[in-house]
Amino acid sequence: MTPTEPATRPSAAEAAVVRPPLPVKMVIAGGFGVGKTTAVGSISEIEPLTTEAAITEVAAGVDDLSHTPRKTTTTVAMDFGCITIDPTLKLYLFGTPGQERFGFMWDDIVEGAVGGLVIVDTRRLDDCYAAVDYFEHRHIPFAVAVNAFDGKVEHTLEEVRWALDVAERTPVVVFDARERGSVRDALLVVLEQALARSEA
Amino acid sequence: MADGRTPTGAGEDGTTSPGPDPVGPVAAVRPFLVTAGRVAPGPSGRTMPVETQVVATAEGLAVLDLLSFEQHDIVAACRQPQSIAEIAARLRLHLNVVRVLAEDLRTAGQLTVHVPDSGVTHDASVLRRVIDGLRAIPDSRGVLRDTD
Repeated sequence: MTPTEPATRPSAAEAAVVRPPLPVKMVIAGGFGVGKTTAVGSISEIEPLTTEAAITEVAAGVDDLSHTPRKTTTTVAMDFGCITIDPTLKLYLFGTPGQERFGFMWDDIVEGAVGGLVIVDTRRLDDCYAAVDYFEHRHIPFAVAVNAFDGKVEHTLEEVRWALDVAERTPVVVFDARERGSVRDALLVVLEQALARSEA
Repeated sequence: MADGRTPTGAGEDGTTSPGPDPVGPVAAVRPFLVTAGRVAPGPSGRTMPVETQVVATAEGLAVLDLLSFEQHDIVAACRQPQSIAEIAARLRLHLNVVRVLAEDLRTAGQLTVHVPDSGVTHDASVLRRVIDGLRAIPDSRGVLRDTD
């Protein structure tokens, strides 16, 4: 089926020394269509990849005569990218599935993440409540980044902070998901939060 | 606007619409047929995080031609270290299928699986290295880093 490739096959000694980088994971969250994949694509060294993650959903079951929650498994798309920091360290950026109703089923993706960035569209602030709640309840360092669509935001950062009712220590910034430097700076805000937490 | 084109949660290949439907092209074989119906986690008991790194062993590469289908493709893809998420995306396999098969291949000695220790990844010295590395990324679009 596949031709043998003697020239590229490493010797046993070579293969034994291949050490993978330490993967550090951050999560990009927010409502549907808010710019998560755009943000990942702006800074990732690879085109964002999409994979399917299985999530377990407890259906409320209004039609369910037995009144018992039904658990169903749903497959959702998850976009991600990465940045090689050096040969021993690699940053992975995982976008959470956008649908709000999946908000409480992100554990499979978020487990072990050093921090999260919640992207907000000020025209649809309520789309990000699930993400904010998620990170707050799990004590994961995070920042809120207001995506400036067409360079405009419709509310001041103070209004956004008030509407979201985030803790005083949680940074709220404006960024542009299309600009690499802007995404970089937003990620740095999250990492500074994570660093402060680790040193506390 | 430029951003509106990419609703997050939909596949990059434009085959999907918003909503709870399965994404991407439908596989010809039902996904968990290749795992004999098993779903993650494996016998080790712990679910592999999506960023878990997987590398082919010399033994795995030596028997590559004897491996079939998904097992072959996974070992071949792991000549270079890969995360299980990357394997799933590149080979168009369900994430949990990759988890199960990676565990099998590890048991058979054909892959090494490196589950990240969150104590290490959350360490201040590691976070500082990530911060320094990110700060070095320039503003502009185009080539992400100098290629040498």
